[in-house]
Amino acid sequence: MSATTRAAHFVSARKTNPISWWLAGLSLAIVASLTSNIFVLVAICIGTLSIIRLCRDDSPWAQSIGFYIKLAAIVITLRIAFRIIFNLGSSTEDAFLLLPSIDIDFGFGNALKLFGPISAEAFNFALIDGFRLAAIILAVGMANSLANPRKLLKSTPGALYEIATAISIAINLAPQLIASLSRVRRARSLRGQSKGMKAITGIVIPVLEDTIDQSMGLAASMSARGFGRKGNRSQFQVIGARLLAFVAICFIVTGAALLLFSPDQQVLELTFLSFGLVLAVISIRLSSARATITRYRKEPWRLGDAIILTVSLLLMLLAFGGAFSR
Amino acid sequence: MIQLKDLTFSYLKSDGSKVSETPQINNVNLTINSGEFVLVCGPTGSGKSTFLKTLNGLAPSFTGGVISGELRINGVNLLGLEPHEFASVVGYVNQQPENAFVGDTVIDEIVYCAEQLGLPIKEIELAVKKISQLLEISDLLERPLLTLSGGQQQRVAIASALVAGQKILLLDEPTSALDLVGAAEVLKVLKRLCSEEGVTVLLAEHRISRVIAEVDSVLVVHGDGSVTKGPTATQFNDPRFVPPIIELGLKLGWKPLPITTADAAKQWNETRPMFQSKVLAEAGKEVLSVSDLEVSFGSVQALQQTSFSLAGKQITALMGENGSGKTSLCWAIQGSGTRTKGTVTTSKGDTQDLSTSERLEVLTMVPQRAADLLFLATLSAELEESDKYAEVPSGSTAKLFQLLAGRIDTSIHPRDLSAGQQLSLVLAIQLVKQAKIVILDEPTRGLDYSAKHALAKQLNSIRSQDRAVLIATHDIEFVAMIADRVLVLEKGQLVSDSSPLEVLGAGKQFASQLAEISQEAGLISIEQVKL
Repeated sequence: MSATTRAAHFVSARKTNPISWWLAGLSLAIVASLTSNIFVLVAICIGTLSIIRLCRDDSPWAQSIGFYIKLAAIVITLRIAFRIIFNLGSSTEDAFLLLPSIDIDFGFGNALKLFGPISAEAFNFALIDGFRLAAIILAVGMANSLANPRKLLKSTPGALYEIATAISIAINLAPQLIASLSRVRRARSLRGQSKGMKAITGIVIPVLEDTIDQSMGLAASMSARGFGRKGNRSQFQVIGARLLAFVAICFIVTGAALLLFSPDQQVLELTFLSFGLVLAVISIRLSSARATITRYRKEPWRLGDAIILTVSLLLMLLAFGGAFSR
Repeated sequence: MIQLKDLTFSYLKSDGSKVSETPQINNVNLTINSGEFVLVCGPTGSGKSTFLKTLNGLAPSFTGGVISGELRINGVNLLGLEPHEFASVVGYVNQQPENAFVGDTVIDEIVYCAEQLGLPIKEIELAVKKISQLLEISDLLERPLLTLSGGQQQRVAIASALVAGQKILLLDEPTSALDLVGAAEVLKVLKRLCSEEGVTVLLAEHRISRVIAEVDSVLVVHGDGSVTKGPTATQFNDPRFVPPIIELGLKLGWKPLPITTADAAKQWNETRPMFQSKVLAEAGKEVLSVSDLEVSFGSVQALQQTSFSLAGKQITALMGENGSGKTSLCWAIQGSGTRTKGTVTTSKGDTQDLSTSERLEVLTMVPQRAADLLFLATLSAELEESDKYAEVPSGSTAKLFQLLAGRIDTSIHPRDLSAGQQLSLVLAIQLVKQAKIVILDEPTRGLDYSAKHALAKQLNSIRSQDRAVLIATHDIEFVAMIADRVLVLEKGQLVSDSSPLEVLGAGKQFASQLAEISQEAGLISIEQVKL
């Protein structure tokens, strides 16, 4: 066993808590959105891809990574293509690509200028922006293909259970869509299509119907086994805890958004974040105390999780440090 | 005990501005006793699934529609409650367990309901121990669900439906996707749950010939809204779904009607009916040749070096257990499936090299998940599109569909058809195409006996047009009825290629029910029996 495979053994998808992979994915996405260094972004792309290669198992959700890779590639290409085609306000001085320009006059306003010379700076900017989006997509893709959505449910606290279920069904949707897309496409080729029949009716509708059917089937099976039971909590308690959880999430999201988009208002951000966290803890405490759900076996935290979480925390601190010092 | 009083369930149908109710279940009054094993049957699309779902609130909660009357379980009227309020008393298992799994491993799945109901950990531990022993899955508890066989998955689903001590179990066609061994495993545990644990079992099934011997009573959902329940022998007067064993009894005028193979064997020995020898079609010209075909998925070899050919004027059955490689073989022959090695030659060349439309000119196939082929918004649009593509006179597909599934309102959405009706529709669409080679993967799932007879008739007429038919199936009685030749796959290897008399005869691996009853050499299907 080589050193890399031994390391991968510790953090392989089956041996880790799915929450760690989601936290790692989200922190990589945050790092990517904070940096403008092309090398860091490319490193994140390559890093996530190699982590997936090393750690994934042969579960159905692990198959969805091909989709994310394609999406990332498309995003990079589109971002650069748009920059080249809709070339607004590029100075001609340090031209990097000398393309002839096309002016389209609509007869009113300014003529629309397409192509034309592009400065190295503008090209660079588009490239970095494309890679940033790609890195975020791949980081989320990593979480999605390594975290077992079914195990994810087991690791959430009782109070957030219903929200977590909705989220995990939603997360499950992407791999399911991809699976039914390939199945339906194969089935369509068996049927053939008369002239005048649009391809979109043949593929998109059955795929969506199939995905919804499957999610409904899962929901029915969960409901038939007691999911969503109010138990001995009063309506008031259930609604109160949910409301509190919702407010907490709003605070945390606002805090995080402020942090990302205007990193200079640190006091406000920290207030939002800490207030949100406190509310969340209270809400979880409140409803967990009256939990009507038993946890037969909790998903344990292992050495692998500690490694993943430490590394992502370090990366995030570094990125924040970089962003604030600028 | 379950008591139904004036139970009525209707789907709402909106027709422009008007909303009308068409009762699927109309004024039903009946009682099911504790510990009773009840078979729920009826023709294709009669509403068996809907009936089961009304008993635990899934209808109308997840199906839409309105319900009225009384539904008393252990004396309490639970009508109108949400499914999760039924969870502690009623367990529910559906047709495809893999779509209903919420857990990752077997143990996760089994404890789910007990967790939701908030049982104490100690109690869950005891319940898991007991139920896993009862269903013989104690060794599998730590296994990921996706690595289990179909029969094992279905037993896990049953365990998870009963873990919280539920005494009523509803099963919607739990064995339709299983081979003989898997289906027998499931049936055995159901029987034991009734007799040893006093669980009331309601089992909806289509392949009922091997089930009726085990059940206490039969409940028939007729499709016109009426539901009747009574002792097994009295319930089969509807010609649409008479199981072979009763068909035999009716044909020979036996009284009382036989229910078990042993009953029938006794009567057979006393009366010694006459029978004709099986007429097998002579093979026509070769239309397809498979040579050295191999299929692997990663490290798993689904099909090992296989060679055979298919001839016109012949119906060939492909049999084998779940996971023996039947479906992989069908897709590899069709050309779009994975193929590791080998060739599949037709008159137009290798199927792998053909374009989609060229392929459809030589070969037509119905896959296992037939509903994937449907994509239009109404039944009539599907039927028209099919006529147009196949370049057949308008109305041809509709005619064939009606033969298979009966008369159905063509303005409805194909997704609202029952599983059996959807399959019939896809069969009609694919069989109306004039391709020389016809491949059907499990074409009788969810079809009632009259639909199977209609399908057999259609396949006979295809055979007479010098076309070749290959049917992958677990349905022994159907193979006995129509096949001229049987291929058997075992763990990806073609182990036999012979006449159906060899494979389905008395004492053989896939002995048909009639062969078991009569023990006569050369007798496998009821059509052979003379009056």
